[in-house]
Amino acid sequence: MDLLVDSSGLFFDGLVWTFKLALLTLFFATAISMIVGVMSVTGLRLLRAVALIYVEFFRDIPLLVSLFFVYFGAPLIGIPLDPFAASAATLSLWGGANGAEIVRGGFNSIPQHQRTSAAALGLKPWEIYWFVLAPQALLPIIPPFTGLFTLLIQSTSLAALIGVPEFFRIAQIVVERTTMIEGHSPAFLVFGVVLLVYYAICSVLNLGTRKLEQYMHTRTARTVVSAEVQIIDRRAEESV
Amino acid sequence: MQYNFDFDYIWSSAPALLDGFILTVQVTAISIVLTVIVGVIGAVIRVLAVPVLSHLVIAYVSLVRNTPLLAQIFFIFYGLPSIGLGLSIFNSGVLALVIWGGAYNVENVRGGFLAVPKGLREAGASLGLRPLPYMWLIAIPLGIRVSLPAVLNTSVSVLKNSAYLQAIGLAELTFVAMERIAMDFRTLEMFAAIGLIYLGLVLTLSILVRRIEHVMHRPFRG
Repeated sequence: MDLLVDSSGLFFDGLVWTFKLALLTLFFATAISMIVGVMSVTGLRLLRAVALIYVEFFRDIPLLVSLFFVYFGAPLIGIPLDPFAASAATLSLWGGANGAEIVRGGFNSIPQHQRTSAAALGLKPWEIYWFVLAPQALLPIIPPFTGLFTLLIQSTSLAALIGVPEFFRIAQIVVERTTMIEGHSPAFLVFGVVLLVYYAICSVLNLGTRKLEQYMHTRTARTVVSAEVQIIDRRAEESV
Repeated sequence: MQYNFDFDYIWSSAPALLDGFILTVQVTAISIVLTVIVGVIGAVIRVLAVPVLSHLVIAYVSLVRNTPLLAQIFFIFYGLPSIGLGLSIFNSGVLALVIWGGAYNVENVRGGFLAVPKGLREAGASLGLRPLPYMWLIAIPLGIRVSLPAVLNTSVSVLKNSAYLQAIGLAELTFVAMERIAMDFRTLEMFAAIGLIYLGLVLTLSILVRRIEHVMHRPFRG
């Protein structure tokens, strides 16, 4: 326990790095998912092909291999990346590929007649996506996106393997140092605490999105109910 | 910057890569089989709402799903020896992957069980089937078919995540590739090679499961 208190400053610095990496990644991964996800449901074959290749590449190759590939491979084509930039880029691209699949699923879950009706009403393609399809695709993608977000936060620990001094790397360093200096390994305690900290972070995220989901459910339910009520009211008026 | 892609280098490292490949396939195959077993047992406990045990399963699933696999691997490999549970690298790796994938499979298989119509359970009960025979004779054969795609996804993840085990020094595919890169600096060649191997493995696994799905979707023959 003394060990944890003594190195709490180190751990805090590590957590700050983890949060920086996580926020950056969540932002870019979401942006990429939206763009690529819409690309993969458009009518343009070229856009769909590009999206498909990108998504399959990142989904079929282990994240760790992609990370090493970006970190060790980028200097060879003349773009030296520091560990933080390499992890942020790889995690964003990986999250974007997985998120794009979720977004695609969300759009595909909308009945085809919504698209055709909107087109029949004379809406432009971007209006169809923005006003008709996107709002309906949003609700079903929230739960899988939460899963993706927790996975992304967990995956920031991989950055430790290429030397970003984030939370998990600090834990490794503390364990190694203590083992060398004091001769016994505090791994059980330190890694146990690390697991609990990640658990707390991800649980809070889960709880938050569950609340958001509930809110959106009640909101859509409310609008649907009020529409029904209006129809019933009108019928009542007509019958009178 | 010029980079000369050296195909011969890939051939010259083929034996080393083959060793890594075999180890990856071994770890993955053992882990996938065990994760499915863990998943089915956990899901049965959840669905039958066995007291105490089902709460343990819930805790296990949420604990595993909300923590990084890398930290779990390190906890198992470096942490467990200090409470007297020292495992070899291979066994720690399999244990970590099974614990991780098992948690996901509990949810996958449970989803399949929940898709079994409630009427079948009532019908079974009215015929005098007790919960366990009901699970074995009705829920498992029907539910596992529904959950196969999700189980496949988790199995593919187990395969890909076996790469994490290089961090504790298991000489699987990624480990071998990184070692060769450290020696000869043929970075792109090695990544191209293992990238293609992983791609091939993932596709093989998908085809295999599609076969199983096909066989399972045949109607029953009493």
